[in-house]
Amino acid sequence: MITITRPKLNYLNWKLLIALIPLPLPFILPKSIVFMLGLAFIFAVFVLSWDLVAGYTGEVNLGHTVFIGIGAYTSALLALKLHTPPLISIIAGGLLATIFGFVIGIICLRLKGYYLALVTAILPLVFIQFVNIYSGIFGGYEGLSIGIKNALHRSIEGRYYIAYGFMLLSLYAIYRVVNGKFGLRLKAIRDDEELAEGVGIDVVKHKVIAFCISALMAGLAGGVAVFYRLSVGVDLFGVPLMILIILSALFGGLGTLFGPLIGALTIYIAKYWVFMEVARAINIQQADALMMYLLLIVLILKMPEGLFGWFKTVRSKLPLRTY
Amino acid sequence: MWEVLIIGTVIGGIWALVASGFSLTFGVARIFNFAHGTYFAIAAYLAAALYPTLGYFSIFLAIFAAGIFGLVVNVLIKPIRDREIMVILLTLSVALSVEQILLIIFQDTSISIPPVINGVVEIAGVPVTYTRIIALIIALLCLAALEIFIGKTRLGREINATSQSSEAAMMVGIDVEKVYSSTMLISAILAGIGGVLYAQIYSVNPETAFRILIFAFAVVILGGLGSIKGSIIAAFLIGYVQTFVSIVLGSRWSEVAVIAVIIAILIVRPRGLFGVE
Repeated sequence: MITITRPKLNYLNWKLLIALIPLPLPFILPKSIVFMLGLAFIFAVFVLSWDLVAGYTGEVNLGHTVFIGIGAYTSALLALKLHTPPLISIIAGGLLATIFGFVIGIICLRLKGYYLALVTAILPLVFIQFVNIYSGIFGGYEGLSIGIKNALHRSIEGRYYIAYGFMLLSLYAIYRVVNGKFGLRLKAIRDDEELAEGVGIDVVKHKVIAFCISALMAGLAGGVAVFYRLSVGVDLFGVPLMILIILSALFGGLGTLFGPLIGALTIYIAKYWVFMEVARAINIQQADALMMYLLLIVLILKMPEGLFGWFKTVRSKLPLRTY
Repeated sequence: MWEVLIIGTVIGGIWALVASGFSLTFGVARIFNFAHGTYFAIAAYLAAALYPTLGYFSIFLAIFAAGIFGLVVNVLIKPIRDREIMVILLTLSVALSVEQILLIIFQDTSISIPPVINGVVEIAGVPVTYTRIIALIIALLCLAALEIFIGKTRLGREINATSQSSEAAMMVGIDVEKVYSSTMLISAILAGIGGVLYAQIYSVNPETAFRILIFAFAVVILGGLGSIKGSIIAAFLIGYVQTFVSIVLGSRWSEVAVIAVIIAILIVRPRGLFGVE
């Protein structure tokens, strides 16, 4: 018997095609936008790593920026004081963030309830306080500048491609984590903790491991951000960045992998294009942050499942098609 | 040392007002209200802003407004009450929105309310303003009123029943939604009173709404989540720790000290001093 198979564009090919889109952009767009897009790619890693905990274990980490900040400041200080090459500085920052994540995770995640959200909500404030108290080392509110000689690449285009590569690598890593056996167990924990425990899954161990992976990626991304934009400051620690991360993940849909990715790129570009322009137009400086918070409230109340969930409900309401 | 004890008692009284409401909402509705510090800030700012035109009447108006805002937050929470992550994120973004609005209106400056009564009295060699003494008395009176309200009135008993089991409360015919909204109203008013008292002693800036939460968290963790009695005792302990650290190391270390306390409790005795499992 002969079966005729039509060559079709399957799901994976679609993704590959989409992944090619950013490649020619530096040749088309002006430098300032290329620079911002690169930052958006790094920001996407912040969001993806946050969603690994929130979307797959059901724990809320409100201090994700602390891991980003630890990675950023560690790698910046190593490059400035000890003149270590960027790659080693970034990895060192990531490792320190992981160790910190392990300590926080082991203290908070063995307890049932919202202890993780509570403790991590305070951490950024404490860290900003530290940066100010020891402003001699950390540069206080102004932060530190690491200079062009420490950059990942001298040209903006070069750094853009590095940032894009870093995002794809991180996406692949998280894809492997959440689609493997480990990810399946995480989803079981998220859906029903007692049941997961009942079938013999070590809930605390899995949560802590997921938390450590998340911290590692956030730390690495923090380091990459520093060597991309050549400066480090308290804005990498702060609450506004944290909210931007949460907003992006929710907008895309928690625990949907590609949802938070799309959410991250959309929200980041919206924030730095639309919101800032509106804030400038109405001449109120802090209005862009306020718009972000209000958007988050609306999103939680009206679209808690995010874009992906919204598509699903829309599709389920369509009349069934028979093939 | 007397200084720590006296100043710490006053600030502890204010933390008790803030934390008992926070603990009450957690105990009854099982929600973590990150917007709790907002009631505090709204009351303090409104009282300070209206004071020049309305005088002391502004203080009552401010506390009333905090209560109304509590009801607004409750209405927002209602549709998503059973999704804990969303409640945390919602109350957090409400808190940040209000902080941002205060920042836009009042800029990044500190405000305070002029004290109701001027004067200083010396207790054990430490000068204490009348304002502080009155603040402590008002705080203690409010806490006593809360205790009587929960124990003696019908609504108070309904609140107590709901905190033990909301399903069972529903089954015996208690209007749980009414209990939730009145709990939110009470805790917002308590935090509002705390805010007005605080603003007469210290200065308040838009960030305070969030900073207050750190102390409220520390108090409820130390006292045990959901236990009002534990919260009140823990509030005074945290007040002493905070005052001690401020005097010895400087006030910028007090937040660091408080998170150290939180983490230490979580390691040694996660259910707090009086918490129930």
